[in-house]
Amino acid sequence: MNLPIAELLVFLLRGFVVVMFAMNVAVILTWADRRQGAAIQDRVGPNRAVIWLPTKLAQGMAVLPALGLSVGILALVAGHEFDGAMRTVASVVFSQLAILWVWLTGLAIGGKVSQRGPQNSFDVFIGSIGDPRRFVYAGLALHVLALGTGAMYRGTETGAMLEQVGISAGPAVFVFAILFGALYAAYSIRKEPRVGLRLLGLLHPAADGLKTVFKEDFIPPNADKFLHSLAPIIAFFPALVVLGVVPFGDSLCFGVDPETHRIAFSKLLDTLPAAGCSGADVIALPLQVVRLNVGVLYFFALAGTGIVGAALAGWASDNKFSLLGGLRAASQMVSYEVTMGLTLIGVFMVYGTLRVDEMVRWQADNAWGMFTQPLAFVLFFTAAVAESKRIPFDLPEGESEIVAGYYTEYAGMKFAMFFFAEYIAVVTSSALMAALFLGGWDLPFVRPDGIHVAIGDTVLMSEALPHVFLVVIGALGFVLKTITLCWLQLTIRWTLPRFRYDQLMRLGWRKLLPASLANILFTGVVILAVQSAGPAVSHGLVIAAQFSKLVLAVGGLALVVWLGLFLLRPVHKRRMLATSSAQFAASLGGTRDARMEA
Amino acid sequence: MEPLDQELEESELELPAEPMLLNVGPSHPAMHGTVRCVMELSGEIIERVDVQVGYLHRGFEKMCERGTWTQVFPYVDRCNYVSPMLNNVGFALVCEKLLEIKVPERCQWYRMALGELARMSDHLTCDGAMAMELGAFTPFLWMIKGREMIWDLMEEETGARLTHSFGRVGGMAQPPTDGFKENARAVAKHILHIIEEVERLLLGNRIFLDRLEGVGVISQEDAISLCWTGPCLRATGIPYDVRKAHPYLKYGEVDFDVPVGQASDCFDRFIVRIEEIKQSARILEQCLKAMPDSGPVNVDDPRVILPPKNEVYSTIEGTIQHFKIVMEGLKLPAGEAYGYTEGGNGEMGYYIVSDGSGTPFRVRIRPPCYYITGGLERVITGHMMADVVPCFGSLNMIGGECDR
Repeated sequence: MNLPIAELLVFLLRGFVVVMFAMNVAVILTWADRRQGAAIQDRVGPNRAVIWLPTKLAQGMAVLPALGLSVGILALVAGHEFDGAMRTVASVVFSQLAILWVWLTGLAIGGKVSQRGPQNSFDVFIGSIGDPRRFVYAGLALHVLALGTGAMYRGTETGAMLEQVGISAGPAVFVFAILFGALYAAYSIRKEPRVGLRLLGLLHPAADGLKTVFKEDFIPPNADKFLHSLAPIIAFFPALVVLGVVPFGDSLCFGVDPETHRIAFSKLLDTLPAAGCSGADVIALPLQVVRLNVGVLYFFALAGTGIVGAALAGWASDNKFSLLGGLRAASQMVSYEVTMGLTLIGVFMVYGTLRVDEMVRWQADNAWGMFTQPLAFVLFFTAAVAESKRIPFDLPEGESEIVAGYYTEYAGMKFAMFFFAEYIAVVTSSALMAALFLGGWDLPFVRPDGIHVAIGDTVLMSEALPHVFLVVIGALGFVLKTITLCWLQLTIRWTLPRFRYDQLMRLGWRKLLPASLANILFTGVVILAVQSAGPAVSHGLVIAAQFSKLVLAVGGLALVVWLGLFLLRPVHKRRMLATSSAQFAASLGGTRDARMEA
Repeated sequence: MEPLDQELEESELELPAEPMLLNVGPSHPAMHGTVRCVMELSGEIIERVDVQVGYLHRGFEKMCERGTWTQVFPYVDRCNYVSPMLNNVGFALVCEKLLEIKVPERCQWYRMALGELARMSDHLTCDGAMAMELGAFTPFLWMIKGREMIWDLMEEETGARLTHSFGRVGGMAQPPTDGFKENARAVAKHILHIIEEVERLLLGNRIFLDRLEGVGVISQEDAISLCWTGPCLRATGIPYDVRKAHPYLKYGEVDFDVPVGQASDCFDRFIVRIEEIKQSARILEQCLKAMPDSGPVNVDDPRVILPPKNEVYSTIEGTIQHFKIVMEGLKLPAGEAYGYTEGGNGEMGYYIVSDGSGTPFRVRIRPPCYYITGGLERVITGHMMADVVPCFGSLNMIGGECDR
């Protein structure tokens, strides 16, 4: 079989995207973990790593991409004829982008001005608007207004005119906002001797990771050198490669090349029929590294391998604390693997497949796994936290008992690999849980051909949308779900104390395992009951599934609104300034601007 | 503690294995301070343990014998370095006992207020560190935030955050600052709020309770025969508190309760300390109310108290007085005295012997931790390795005090 070069490239690209996703989210997680600790103490958190840029270079970095982007947008608008449905979509997208960018730029400038005070007459004008939050409110109002007006005049004479305005003025305003923001940034830093690139402190974990490469690689004299070096690799890679079976978006639908009967990358379908990507003349490109028919079993096979790494590290280190840690790791992970596996049997019974992408499709067609298998979700979540060896299940490395457990004798990059494997395990388990229980890329009421809000026979809204757009928002939804689950695991880590070894085993074998067995039994009984019941019951189930989607949609929107309100709420920092030295520091503007450069 | 796992015992019969000898400490995360525990482990169960103290021995008692009585204060600071003010006041009290002087009322209230703040910081640290070592990091950070407020306040009062050396025989180094009452009230309010938050986070947490309840139990008889005092003794149900049993300063005049435990396990030791923080806040409020805003802080005795700096430089009497106290030291009458106060961990005693010269003949410190650490072996034998953490944490062994 000769694989065309394009298909090979796409395959590699998918792998690259998945690996980068896991690694980057893991880095962000290490940062967030430390930020969370800092937030509890009212500290800034890790933000010391910085790349100093010459001012000219920083100005170039602000202006040149903006210029390129502007030219690209203008070329696209000028050289492309939008017609039919695409015309409406383009006008909506451009007008919304323009509004978004205008208020984002206003917010950024307003925030900066209120922080450092006005420096020129434009700053004074921005400052006179007052609280920078007003940009957000005005922007949101404009978004809604534009959408509402567009929807109201759809199909009329005025609507066509508005479309014309959106297509012509939208890109113009968008380009203007981009250029203005970039030029303003370049102008405001012109007097700085150099500009520090900090990325909210995100460079800090990256710098920490880089540092470990240059650290001494210590191997205890009596350790088994080969196994000691092998262990971190065995612990690291399974955590990463299990993402291969997790789909991060719906399949992209391409046409078929008539000559080779293979996929034709130039023929991406604009819209899909309601049945999705099926037929003789189309080929689906799954957004998943490999479509294995064993699916989730592959996850178990590899996740189980991670145990070997911990056990090897414990054994090969020639240290009694390591040995205890390795033993704890091995027994803990084996115990919770059983619960994890048995939990999923209920899931298999409901979905009727092992393939993760098929599972997601089932959830899109029916209801999310958290509704059909709620107990399994809770059990699987618990077992997944236990598998990642983080608090409250961090006995293998419980630092106050057995120093650092199985990686006591590791330093430098090998230690970093263990450390990083833990965070990647958080990401992969979150991604898998998102796919198994939170509907993967599925968003409520989003179907392959568009958005259809319908309960039973009542259709509330029906809107056909382009194929690519639907796939992209699905993928974004998947990322969002994964990050939410990661954050949940982070919060658990900061809240709960650690189990004791016997308590952990008791929880695993006497509580979670029987519960997962009961879940299998219960699921089987329910499935049999539904199958033997009449059509009325199955119709009722369909309504219930649609209702669950409605609940999710409303709940999701409420969550977004709440998050927005939470982020917009003014922060009232309470400071205790009891001492005269603290008061002195505060009178000098606090310690934030006092650079610590040793 | 539940009976040991049946499987472990059986497997031992089938496969003869000798216990693993594990050397924990003196530098180990669970051994805060520097203690060495040589454990014989069967699986994770501690079959025998040998607790060895003394790794932080710096010879304080001997060092005290070569300076003046005033120069002892920095040494006692470094005993229980989490609540040095209690040590300071305790040592000042025993010297005053031998001198047969009594400090003015304002100073007595001031000493009590500072002492209760120090006790709060001691208990906050102990409970917070205990939670942290069990993996609950958030309550630790909250409690340390509270301790930080106390230390800020101490810095304002004394000039130093940790080792204040603020006590003086016959008074204090400085009178209270103008904002003391206001600041202390604000700090106490914040700390009570923190305690409330910590209780909400921990006391309903099944994992936390499982780790503490029924772990590290010691009987009342054992506790008494080991000379335990302080929160650890009160957790066994014996309401012995020096402040109540033998009131010193103005403790007889303030109204407070002595919390006692029932099960005398780690959880009781944790909760007794939490409760004592609340009682300390009560005492603090009463002290602040009773403390006069003006009046002398030091006794009016030129043999004991240094003259003000401007008198030293401008009058001959002042210069001589200053010279005598600094160069020869306080002349405590020949004799011996034992003074004891309620420190952070229990009865903080000083047994001093004076030969009438300006230098201590012998200063013997009775550190409460030393006797409590003596019970560690009894507390952890038979438990699992992981139980050492809450047991040791709840005993609150402070290396500087235990080893001196």
